[in-house]
Amino acid sequence: MDSILFFEKLLCFRGSTNNGYVMAPLRWRSTAANPLIRDVNVPPTCITALNSGLRVATEDTGAPTATVGLWIDAGSRYESEQTNGVAHFLEHMAFKGTSKRSQTDLELEVENMGAHLNAYTSREQTVFYAKCLKQDVPKAVEILSDIITNSTLGSNEIERERSVILREMQEVETNLQEVAFDYLHATAYQGTPLGRTILGPTENIKSISRDDLQDYIKTHYKAPRVVLAGAGGVDHNELVKLAETHFKKLDTIDGPVPDVSPCRYTGSEVRLRDDSIPLAHIAIAVEGCGWTDPDNIPLMVANTLLGAWDRSQGGGANNASGLAAIVAEDNCAHSFQSFNTCYKDTGLWGVYFVSDGMTIENMVWNIQEAWKKMCTSLTERDVIRARNLLKTNMLLQLDGTTPICEDIGRQMLCYNRRIPINELEQRIDSVTAKDIMNVCMKYIYDKCPVVAAVGPVEQLPDYNNIRSGMYWIRL
Amino acid sequence: MASRVVGFQKVGTRFLAKQAKRFSWNSRHFASQADPPKVPIDRSQLGCKQPPLSEPLPGVPSPNYATVKDDNSETKYTVLPNGLRIASETRFGQFCTVGVVIDSGSRYEVAYPSGVSHFLEKLAFNSTSVYSDREKIMTELENHGGICDCQSSRDTFVYAISADSRGLDAVSKILGEVVLRPQISTAEIDITRQAIQFELETLGMRPEQETLLMDMIHAAAYRDNTLGLPKLCPAPNVPKIDQKLLFTYLKNHYTPSRMVVAGVGVDHDRLVESVQKYFVDQQPIWEGNDELILPGPLLNVDDSVAQWTGGLVQEECEIPQFAGPSGLPELAHVVLGLESCSHQDPDFIAVCVLNMMMGGGGSFSAGGPGKGMYTRLYTNVLNRYHWMYNATAYNHAYLDSGLFCIHASAPPTHVRELVEVITREMVAMAGSVGNSELRRAKTQLQSMLLMNLESRPVVFEDLARQVLATGQRKSPKYFIEAIENISADDIQRVAQRLLRASPAVAARGDVSKIPQLRDVQSGLMDPNGRIPGSRHRMSLR
Repeated sequence: MDSILFFEKLLCFRGSTNNGYVMAPLRWRSTAANPLIRDVNVPPTCITALNSGLRVATEDTGAPTATVGLWIDAGSRYESEQTNGVAHFLEHMAFKGTSKRSQTDLELEVENMGAHLNAYTSREQTVFYAKCLKQDVPKAVEILSDIITNSTLGSNEIERERSVILREMQEVETNLQEVAFDYLHATAYQGTPLGRTILGPTENIKSISRDDLQDYIKTHYKAPRVVLAGAGGVDHNELVKLAETHFKKLDTIDGPVPDVSPCRYTGSEVRLRDDSIPLAHIAIAVEGCGWTDPDNIPLMVANTLLGAWDRSQGGGANNASGLAAIVAEDNCAHSFQSFNTCYKDTGLWGVYFVSDGMTIENMVWNIQEAWKKMCTSLTERDVIRARNLLKTNMLLQLDGTTPICEDIGRQMLCYNRRIPINELEQRIDSVTAKDIMNVCMKYIYDKCPVVAAVGPVEQLPDYNNIRSGMYWIRL
Repeated sequence: MASRVVGFQKVGTRFLAKQAKRFSWNSRHFASQADPPKVPIDRSQLGCKQPPLSEPLPGVPSPNYATVKDDNSETKYTVLPNGLRIASETRFGQFCTVGVVIDSGSRYEVAYPSGVSHFLEKLAFNSTSVYSDREKIMTELENHGGICDCQSSRDTFVYAISADSRGLDAVSKILGEVVLRPQISTAEIDITRQAIQFELETLGMRPEQETLLMDMIHAAAYRDNTLGLPKLCPAPNVPKIDQKLLFTYLKNHYTPSRMVVAGVGVDHDRLVESVQKYFVDQQPIWEGNDELILPGPLLNVDDSVAQWTGGLVQEECEIPQFAGPSGLPELAHVVLGLESCSHQDPDFIAVCVLNMMMGGGGSFSAGGPGKGMYTRLYTNVLNRYHWMYNATAYNHAYLDSGLFCIHASAPPTHVRELVEVITREMVAMAGSVGNSELRRAKTQLQSMLLMNLESRPVVFEDLARQVLATGQRKSPKYFIEAIENISADDIQRVAQRLLRASPAVAARGDVSKIPQLRDVQSGLMDPNGRIPGSRHRMSLR
C-alpha cells in the first residue's frame, strides 16, 4: 500500500517543484492499522498551481480519448446592469476566430480532428472545453488558449452574433422551465447581480460593444481565476507543461477585486398568468446555502429525499420519495423535481413542478407538507435510503471523460480542491435524520419562500397563504 | 414585476409565537416527535458542525487510488448447456454494468396485438416471485448504489443495472427475477396502461416529432411486416393487452437461446456462477404454470426476414408549436428513407461513414465546432436554404436489413422544395466524394466510436448486442481499422446500392404540398436528382 501512495506522491509532485506549489499536499500516513483507508478504483486527481496562479488539475485514466477544458471564475454575476450579457456574448465570440486562425480555420481544424469544442456560461462560471482523441490533447490545449487569449472580436462577427444570441433567447423562452428559473432568480435576488439573466436583456445584446467584451476579459480572465482541467487520456505533467507554454499571456496580477458583494435574498413572488399555455410551470424555493457551506450536504440529502417524478414513471407509489407517492396518487402534477442551486454565498433550495392549472393549490400544499415533515418528523430509514440514492447519483454520473472533467473543474472553482470520493461518502454517510431536521429547521421552517409561476396559474394561492404554509401552528 | 416582501419574516414569527401560546396543549397530540421546536426558533444553534467543503474532513485518510494501467479488456464467453450465452469484460472503475439482452421487440409482434413490447418495457422491474413489489427491488438496488433501466428497440430488449461491483450477485438475482419471473399483476398492468396513455398524449402534445416519425418511416419501409410494425402501442390496443397475452409472448420469446447476459467491470466466473443460480436453477414463472398462458396453439416466434416494400405514410395534422414567443414557424416534417444493409453486411461500415459524411442537424443547435458543421447536410442544405430548419441523416441497422434516412423539417409552404433538395442530396451521394470530406467523416466516426465507449453502459450494450448477433465482440480496434480502410469508391458503391430500391417516405404536419411518391422515385433515378414537374433550375449548384 505504501508503494502506491508513494507513487501517487511522485506523480503529483514531479515537475511541480520549479513550477509552483501543489495545492493539496498529501500527508504521509501510516496505512497499516487504519480501517478507514479503503481502495477506490479510480485514479487520483493531481493538482499543480503554476507561478502565474493558474491551476492544473487532472485525472488520468489512460483512456484513448480525453476532455480538457478551462473553468473560469467569471459569469453573469460579475456584470453590471449595463454590461449584463457580456460574459455570455464572449462565449459566443470564442469560436469566431483569433489572431492566428479564422473562424473557418478553427472550425475545420476541430472538425478534422474529430474533436468537439464547447462552451457554456453560468451565473458564476465560464467554461470552454474540448473533447478529443488522446493524441490530440496538445493541439486542443493550444486551441483553447488561442480562443481565450487571442480572440479577434471582429466587429462584423459581433454584429452577426447579436442576432444569433437574440435567436437563442427566443429558444430559451420556449423552454418554460428555464423561464420559470429565470423568474425565480429575478425575484429571489431582486436588485442584485444574481437576479439578472445570463443572456442579458435585449437592449444589452443589441448594444454590447467590442470595448465591453475586452474590458470583461481584462478584468476577469486572470490566471489565478482559471483552472485547466483534464480527464481521460491526459498526462498531468504534460498538461502542466502545455499550460506553461500556452497561457503565458494570461494576466497574473489579481487586479481590482471583482465585485462579489453578497447577493441579498428576498422572499417574494412573481406570477405570469398566461392561460394560453397548456400547463402551469412553477418553482417554489427557500434560500439555501453556498457551495462550501457544510450544511450543503444535509440539504442535498434532503433534496434527494423529495426526489423527482414524472407521470411516465407510472407507479410513484413505490418511489423512494414520499412526495412522489402522494403526487402520483393525488394526480396533482405531471412532473416535479427538487433542486438545490448553489452559488458562492447563497443558494436556492426547492421544488419545480409542472401541473394542470386546476391542481396547483393541491400540489403546493403537498410540497409544503413534505417540507414541514422534513423539519419535524423524519425516520432514519428514509434518510438511509436518500443517502444511498445521493451517493449513487453523484458517483454513477462520473462515467466518461467529460463528466469527470466537469466535476474536476467545478470543484476546483468551488472548493479549490477535489473532494476525495471516500471523504464525500463519509460526509454523506454521517448525515442522520436529526441532522436533516436540524438543517431543514434552519433553512425551511417558517422561512419566506420565493415563488415563480408561469402559465395558467390562477389557482396558485396568494403569497400570504403560501407563507403561512411554511409552519405548523400545532407544534 | 416582483412584489417585494419586506419584514414578512418578522410578522410571521410574531404571529406564530402568539398562536403557539394559545394552542400549546396541541403539542401533546404529537408526542412522538422528539423535540417540538422552540418558538421563536433559535436558528443560531442549527446547522451542520462539520468543516466547510473546501477543507478536508478530519480523520478521513487518503484512499488507495487505482493507478493507470492498460485496460485489460479481454472478453470472456461462456455458453451454458441450455443455450444461454454469457459474456463479460473487466474494466477500470468502481461500478459495473450487468444486463440481459433479448432477441425480442416489436418486430416479432405480427401475431400479437401491437404494443406488447411497449407494455413489457414499461412493466420491467416490477414485482416478481421473490420481490413482492417494485420498492423491494429499488431498495435492494439502493443498497448497492444501483440504478436499473429497460429499453426496447425494434428487435432487442435490454434490461440493465449499473451498481457497485461488490453487489454482483444481488444484481444478477434482480435481473433473473425481472426477466424470468415477473408477476405482471393486474394493478401493474393498469398503471402501465395509464403510463402508456400518458406517453402517447405527451408525444401528441410536443413539438418534437422524432419518435412518431421513426415509427412512420419504418411502417413505410417495411409495410405490415417485421421492422415495420409499430414500436409505440397504438391507442386502441392500450385497453386490450392483458396478463395472459404478455405471458404468452414471454414464454415464446424469453428463451435461453435468444438471450445474452453480459457484464462490464465484473469477474467472469462469478458472473457465470450467479447466472447459473438465477437463470438456470430457478425456472421461469411460466414453466408449468399453464393458467398464465393463452389456451390454444402456441404463437410461435416470427422468424421471417424483413421485407423492404417502400411506400408513403402520411399524416395530415397540426404539429404542436413550441410554447411561448419562440419565433419558430409551424413546421412540417418529412423523412426520406432508402434501404441500406444489415449490421452484418460487408457494406455496413461504409454506410456508417456515408451517414457521418451527410451528418446534419438543426439550423440552430447548441455546441461549438465538432458537431458536424462541415458535413454535407450543413454545407449543401442548412447553410443554403434559410427555410430549412432541420436536416439530419440516420442509419438504422438490424440483423437482416437496414434503413438509411434523412429527416428534414421546414414550414409547410416549402415542403415540396424540401423534398426536392433532399432528393438531390441523396442522388449526389453516388457522385464524387472529396478527399478531405471523406477523411473528416472517417476521423469523426472513429472518434465518435471511441468517445461513446468512454461510458460503461455503452460498452455493455455494444458487447451484449454483438454477442447476441454473432456470438462474439469485435474490438473497437477492429472497427477503427475497418473505418480507416473505407475508400471513396466504397462510398459511391454503397450509395448506388441505397438508391436502387424504391424509397420510403414519411410525412407529418401540414404536408399537402408533398410531391407524389412516384415522382420522388423518379427523382432518385434521375442523374441530377430532379423531381418531375419541379420548376427547378439547378442554378445554385
